[in-house]
Amino acid sequence: MKCFGFTVGFVFLLCVANTHAHEMTPTYPKLDTTHVSGVLKTKMKIFNRREDVSYYEIGVFDKDWNAIPFVTSYKVLQMDYLAHAEVDIYINEGDATRSEYICSKSKLRKDDVVSSAIASRICSRIK
Amino acid sequence: MKKLVLVIMAFAFGYGFGTVAFAENVPIEGSVESRCLITTSNSGVYGNPLPQKLSTAVVDGGVLPIVRFDISLADAYKAKITTPTAFSSSPALSDSVAWTGSTILGTTSDAGMSGYEAAKVVYDATTEFDLTVAGSTWFKSTSTATYGYDKSFPGGIYSAIVVAECIAK
Repeated sequence: MKCFGFTVGFVFLLCVANTHAHEMTPTYPKLDTTHVSGVLKTKMKIFNRREDVSYYEIGVFDKDWNAIPFVTSYKVLQMDYLAHAEVDIYINEGDATRSEYICSKSKLRKDDVVSSAIASRICSRIK
Repeated sequence: MKKLVLVIMAFAFGYGFGTVAFAENVPIEGSVESRCLITTSNSGVYGNPLPQKLSTAVVDGGVLPIVRFDISLADAYKAKITTPTAFSSSPALSDSVAWTGSTILGTTSDAGMSGYEAAKVVYDATTEFDLTVAGSTWFKSTSTATYGYDKSFPGGIYSAIVVAECIAK
Protein backbone atom coordinates (compact mmCIF):
# COMPACT_ATOMS: atom_id res chain seq x y z
CA MET A 1 0.00 0.00 0.00
CA LYS A 2 2.85 2.33 0.92
CA CYS A 3 4.57 1.44 -2.35
CA PHE A 4 1.35 2.12 -4.27
CA GLY A 5 1.02 5.47 -2.55
CA PHE A 6 4.58 6.35 -3.43
CA THR A 7 4.07 5.31 -7.07
CA VAL A 8 0.88 7.34 -7.41
CA GLY A 9 2.55 10.29 -5.72
CA PHE A 10 5.61 10.03 -7.94
CA VAL A 11 3.58 9.75 -11.15
CA PHE A 12 1.46 12.71 -9.99
CA LEU A 13 4.62 14.65 -9.30
CA LEU A 14 5.91 13.89 -12.79
CA CYS A 15 2.59 14.97 -14.27
CA VAL A 16 2.37 18.27 -12.41
CA ALA A 17 6.04 19.10 -12.91
CA ASN A 18 5.14 21.05 -16.00
CA THR A 19 7.62 23.87 -15.77
CA HIS A 20 11.35 24.12 -16.18
CA ALA A 21 12.15 20.46 -16.70
CA HIS A 22 14.50 18.72 -19.09
CA GLU A 23 14.21 15.06 -19.98
CA MET A 24 16.08 12.66 -22.25
CA THR A 25 15.49 8.96 -22.83
CA PRO A 26 16.47 6.15 -23.08
CA THR A 27 18.87 5.87 -20.17
CA TYR A 28 20.80 3.08 -21.85
CA PRO A 29 20.66 3.47 -25.66
CA LYS A 30 21.94 0.70 -27.94
CA LEU A 31 23.78 1.24 -31.18
CA ASP A 32 22.20 -0.55 -34.12
CA THR A 33 23.49 -1.20 -37.60
CA THR A 34 22.38 1.00 -40.48
CA HIS A 35 22.13 0.54 -44.22
CA VAL A 36 25.55 2.18 -44.47
CA SER A 37 28.42 -0.17 -43.78
CA GLY A 38 30.56 0.83 -40.80
CA VAL A 39 28.03 3.27 -39.37
CA LEU A 40 25.96 2.64 -36.25
CA LYS A 41 22.89 4.49 -35.17
CA THR A 42 20.77 5.16 -32.12
CA LYS A 43 17.70 7.28 -31.45
CA MET A 44 17.32 9.63 -28.49
CA LYS A 45 14.17 11.37 -27.33
CA ILE A 46 14.27 14.80 -25.76
CA PHE A 47 11.39 16.56 -24.07
CA ASN A 48 11.64 20.28 -23.36
CA ARG A 49 9.58 21.34 -20.40
CA ARG A 50 11.81 24.30 -19.69
CA GLU A 51 10.02 27.50 -20.61
CA ASP A 52 13.29 29.38 -20.27
CA VAL A 53 15.18 27.15 -22.74
CA SER A 54 14.76 26.96 -26.51
CA TYR A 55 17.97 25.21 -27.54
CA TYR A 56 19.63 21.93 -26.60
CA GLU A 57 23.08 20.77 -27.64
CA ILE A 58 23.81 17.10 -28.32
CA GLY A 59 27.21 15.58 -27.58
CA VAL A 60 28.85 12.14 -27.58
CA PHE A 61 31.73 11.45 -25.18
CA ASP A 62 34.10 8.69 -24.14
CA LYS A 63 34.55 7.56 -20.53
CA ASP A 64 36.99 10.41 -19.87
CA TRP A 65 34.56 12.97 -21.32
CA ASN A 66 36.55 13.53 -24.49
CA ALA A 67 34.30 14.44 -27.42
CA ILE A 68 33.61 11.68 -29.97
CA PRO A 69 32.78 12.61 -33.57
CA PHE A 70 29.20 11.85 -34.56
CA VAL A 71 26.64 12.93 -37.11
CA THR A 72 23.11 14.15 -36.51
CA SER A 73 20.74 16.53 -38.25
CA TYR A 74 21.39 19.39 -35.85
CA LYS A 75 23.90 19.39 -33.02
CA VAL A 76 22.04 22.33 -31.51
CA LEU A 77 18.30 21.69 -31.58
CA GLN A 78 15.75 24.45 -31.51
CA MET A 79 12.89 23.22 -29.32
CA ASP A 80 9.77 25.02 -28.31
CA TYR A 81 8.35 24.72 -24.82
CA LEU A 82 6.71 21.29 -24.36
CA ALA A 83 8.14 20.05 -27.66
CA HIS A 84 9.35 16.50 -28.19
CA ALA A 85 12.27 15.70 -30.46
CA GLU A 86 13.60 12.39 -31.72
CA VAL A 87 17.25 12.63 -32.64
CA ASP A 88 19.06 10.05 -34.78
CA ILE A 89 22.74 9.87 -33.88
CA TYR A 90 25.19 8.19 -36.22
CA ILE A 91 28.57 7.02 -34.95
CA ASN A 92 31.43 5.50 -36.89
CA GLU A 93 31.92 1.83 -36.02
CA GLY A 94 35.52 2.57 -35.12
CA ASP A 95 34.44 5.18 -32.56
CA ALA A 96 31.54 3.12 -31.22
CA THR A 97 33.61 0.99 -28.86
CA ARG A 98 34.93 4.03 -27.01
CA SER A 99 31.65 5.96 -27.06
CA GLU A 100 30.27 5.99 -23.53
CA TYR A 101 27.84 8.88 -23.09
CA ILE A 102 25.26 10.70 -25.19
CA CYS A 103 24.34 14.02 -23.60
CA SER A 104 21.89 16.82 -24.15
CA LYS A 105 22.63 20.18 -22.57
CA SER A 106 20.35 23.18 -22.27
CA LYS A 107 21.68 26.32 -23.90
CA LEU A 108 20.83 29.45 -22.00
CA ARG A 109 20.62 32.72 -23.87
CA LYS A 110 22.54 35.54 -22.31
CA ASP A 111 19.51 37.81 -22.37
CA ASP A 112 17.42 35.27 -20.44
CA VAL A 113 19.84 34.84 -17.54
CA VAL A 114 18.90 37.12 -14.67
CA SER A 115 21.23 37.01 -11.65
CA SER A 116 21.54 33.21 -11.32
CA ALA A 117 20.38 30.50 -13.71
CA ILE A 118 20.57 26.72 -13.92
CA ALA A 119 21.89 24.88 -16.96
CA SER A 120 20.82 21.24 -17.16
CA ARG A 121 22.62 18.35 -18.78
CA ILE A 122 21.39 14.76 -19.01
CA CYS A 123 23.70 12.00 -20.16
CA SER A 124 22.61 8.51 -21.21
CA ARG A 125 25.09 5.66 -21.18
CA ILE A 126 25.61 3.54 -24.29
CA LYS A 127 25.28 -0.17 -23.58
CA MET B 1 -34.40 -32.34 -41.55
CA LYS B 2 -31.73 -30.64 -43.59
CA LYS B 3 -33.28 -27.27 -42.78
CA LEU B 4 -33.24 -28.09 -39.08
CA VAL B 5 -29.55 -29.04 -39.24
CA LEU B 6 -28.76 -25.83 -41.11
CA VAL B 7 -30.66 -23.75 -38.54
CA ILE B 8 -28.86 -25.48 -35.66
CA MET B 9 -25.50 -24.97 -37.39
CA ALA B 10 -26.30 -21.32 -38.03
CA PHE B 11 -27.16 -20.78 -34.36
CA ALA B 12 -24.08 -22.70 -33.28
CA PHE B 13 -21.77 -20.68 -35.50
CA GLY B 14 -23.52 -17.44 -34.67
CA TYR B 15 -23.37 -18.13 -30.96
CA GLY B 16 -19.81 -19.29 -31.27
CA PHE B 17 -18.64 -16.25 -33.17
CA GLY B 18 -20.67 -14.03 -30.90
CA THR B 19 -19.06 -15.55 -27.86
CA VAL B 20 -15.60 -15.06 -29.33
CA ALA B 21 -16.43 -11.46 -30.20
CA PHE B 22 -17.79 -10.65 -26.76
CA ALA B 23 -14.97 -12.42 -24.95
CA GLU B 24 -12.27 -10.53 -26.85
CA ASN B 25 -9.93 -8.83 -24.44
CA VAL B 26 -8.50 -5.43 -25.19
CA PRO B 27 -5.26 -5.22 -23.29
CA ILE B 28 -4.02 -1.87 -22.11
CA GLU B 29 -0.31 -1.95 -21.71
CA GLY B 30 2.09 0.58 -20.37
CA SER B 31 5.56 0.77 -19.04
CA VAL B 32 7.62 3.23 -17.08
CA GLU B 33 11.08 3.43 -18.54
CA SER B 34 14.15 4.57 -16.71
CA ARG B 35 14.52 8.31 -16.94
CA CYS B 36 15.96 11.34 -15.26
CA LEU B 37 14.13 14.63 -15.14
CA ILE B 38 15.95 17.80 -14.10
CA THR B 39 13.62 20.53 -12.90
CA THR B 40 14.74 23.99 -11.95
CA SER B 41 12.57 24.78 -8.96
CA ASN B 42 14.25 28.10 -8.34
CA SER B 43 16.90 29.82 -10.43
CA GLY B 44 18.32 31.82 -7.52
CA VAL B 45 19.17 35.47 -7.01
CA TYR B 46 22.36 37.11 -5.79
CA GLY B 47 22.08 39.36 -2.78
CA ASN B 48 24.60 42.16 -2.24
CA PRO B 49 25.12 42.35 1.56
CA LEU B 50 28.50 44.06 1.25
CA PRO B 51 29.89 46.22 -1.58
CA GLN B 52 32.45 43.54 -2.45
CA LYS B 53 30.19 40.51 -1.99
CA LEU B 54 27.47 38.81 -4.01
CA SER B 55 25.82 35.81 -2.43
CA THR B 56 22.78 33.61 -2.95
CA ALA B 57 22.63 32.82 0.79
CA VAL B 58 19.36 33.80 2.41
CA VAL B 59 21.20 35.59 5.26
CA ASP B 60 22.89 37.73 2.59
CA GLY B 61 19.58 38.69 1.03
CA GLY B 62 19.86 36.21 -1.80
CA VAL B 63 17.69 33.36 -3.02
CA LEU B 64 19.12 29.85 -3.25
CA PRO B 65 19.08 28.08 -6.60
CA ILE B 66 17.11 24.86 -6.13
CA VAL B 67 17.10 22.00 -8.60
CA ARG B 68 15.05 18.83 -8.46
CA PHE B 69 16.05 15.45 -9.86
CA ASP B 70 13.29 12.92 -10.56
CA ILE B 71 14.54 9.37 -11.01
CA SER B 72 12.20 6.56 -12.02
CA LEU B 73 14.73 3.75 -11.59
CA ALA B 74 16.88 3.34 -8.51
CA ASP B 75 20.65 3.32 -8.80
CA ALA B 76 20.71 4.30 -12.49
CA TYR B 77 21.91 7.91 -12.29
CA LYS B 78 24.19 10.22 -10.36
CA ALA B 79 23.60 13.92 -9.92
CA LYS B 80 26.40 16.43 -10.39
CA ILE B 81 25.86 20.05 -9.46
CA THR B 82 28.53 22.63 -10.21
CA THR B 83 28.36 26.11 -8.70
CA PRO B 84 29.65 29.07 -10.76
CA THR B 85 33.34 29.94 -11.01
CA ALA B 86 32.80 32.93 -13.29
CA PHE B 87 30.08 35.38 -14.21
CA SER B 88 28.22 34.62 -17.42
CA SER B 89 27.71 38.35 -17.77
CA SER B 90 28.87 41.31 -15.73
CA PRO B 91 30.21 44.81 -16.09
CA ALA B 92 33.93 45.08 -16.90
CA LEU B 93 35.93 43.95 -13.86
CA SER B 94 39.50 45.10 -13.30
CA ASP B 95 40.30 42.78 -10.39
CA SER B 96 39.93 39.09 -9.65
CA VAL B 97 36.83 37.48 -8.17
CA ALA B 98 37.08 34.78 -5.52
CA TRP B 99 34.33 32.17 -5.81
CA THR B 100 33.01 29.80 -3.20
CA GLY B 101 30.06 27.49 -3.51
CA SER B 102 28.42 24.45 -2.01
CA THR B 103 25.45 22.19 -2.62
CA ILE B 104 23.40 20.43 0.03
CA LEU B 105 20.56 17.95 0.04
CA GLY B 106 17.17 19.61 0.41
CA THR B 107 13.76 17.97 0.51
CA THR B 108 13.42 14.31 -0.46
CA SER B 109 10.45 12.16 -1.44
CA ASP B 110 11.81 9.08 0.31
CA ALA B 111 13.38 8.67 3.73
CA GLY B 112 16.01 6.42 2.18
CA MET B 113 17.52 9.45 0.45
CA SER B 114 18.65 11.01 3.72
CA GLY B 115 22.03 9.31 3.34
CA TYR B 116 22.82 11.26 0.16
CA GLU B 117 24.28 14.19 2.11
CA ALA B 118 26.80 12.08 4.04
CA ALA B 119 27.77 10.13 0.92
CA LYS B 120 28.24 13.13 -1.39
CA VAL B 121 31.57 13.68 -3.10
CA VAL B 122 32.90 17.23 -3.45
CA TYR B 123 35.66 18.29 -5.82
CA ASP B 124 36.46 21.74 -7.17
CA ALA B 125 33.09 23.49 -7.46
CA THR B 126 31.24 20.23 -8.13
CA THR B 127 29.18 18.15 -5.74
CA GLU B 128 28.25 14.63 -6.77
CA PHE B 129 25.35 12.61 -5.35
CA ASP B 130 24.69 8.94 -6.04
CA LEU B 131 20.95 8.63 -6.69
CA THR B 132 20.38 5.17 -5.27
CA VAL B 133 16.66 5.55 -4.51
CA ALA B 134 13.86 6.18 -7.01
CA GLY B 135 11.90 9.37 -6.47
CA SER B 136 12.44 13.11 -6.26
CA THR B 137 15.31 14.91 -4.62
CA TRP B 138 15.81 18.64 -4.23
CA PHE B 139 19.29 20.14 -3.97
CA LYS B 140 20.13 23.67 -2.81
CA SER B 141 23.27 25.49 -3.90
CA THR B 142 24.98 28.48 -2.39
CA SER B 143 27.27 30.66 -4.46
CA THR B 144 29.38 33.56 -3.24
CA ALA B 145 31.56 35.94 -5.25
CA THR B 146 33.99 38.27 -3.50
CA TYR B 147 35.64 41.00 -5.48
CA GLY B 148 39.32 41.95 -5.19
CA TYR B 149 40.52 43.02 -1.74
CA ASP B 150 37.66 44.92 -0.16
CA LYS B 151 36.80 46.50 -3.49
CA SER B 152 33.27 47.36 -4.43
CA PHE B 153 31.67 45.57 -7.35
CA PRO B 154 31.03 48.08 -10.14
CA GLY B 155 27.37 48.84 -10.63
CA GLY B 156 25.53 46.74 -13.20
CA ILE B 157 23.85 43.41 -13.80
CA TYR B 158 25.66 40.26 -12.70
CA SER B 159 24.63 36.76 -13.67
CA ALA B 160 26.14 33.31 -13.20
CA ILE B 161 25.10 29.78 -14.04
CA VAL B 162 24.75 26.66 -11.91
CA VAL B 163 25.14 23.45 -13.94
CA ALA B 164 22.97 20.48 -12.93
CA GLU B 165 23.88 17.18 -14.57
CA CYS B 166 22.22 13.78 -14.46
CA ILE B 167 24.67 11.10 -15.58
CA ALA B 168 23.62 7.51 -16.25
CA LYS B 169 25.75 4.98 -14.33
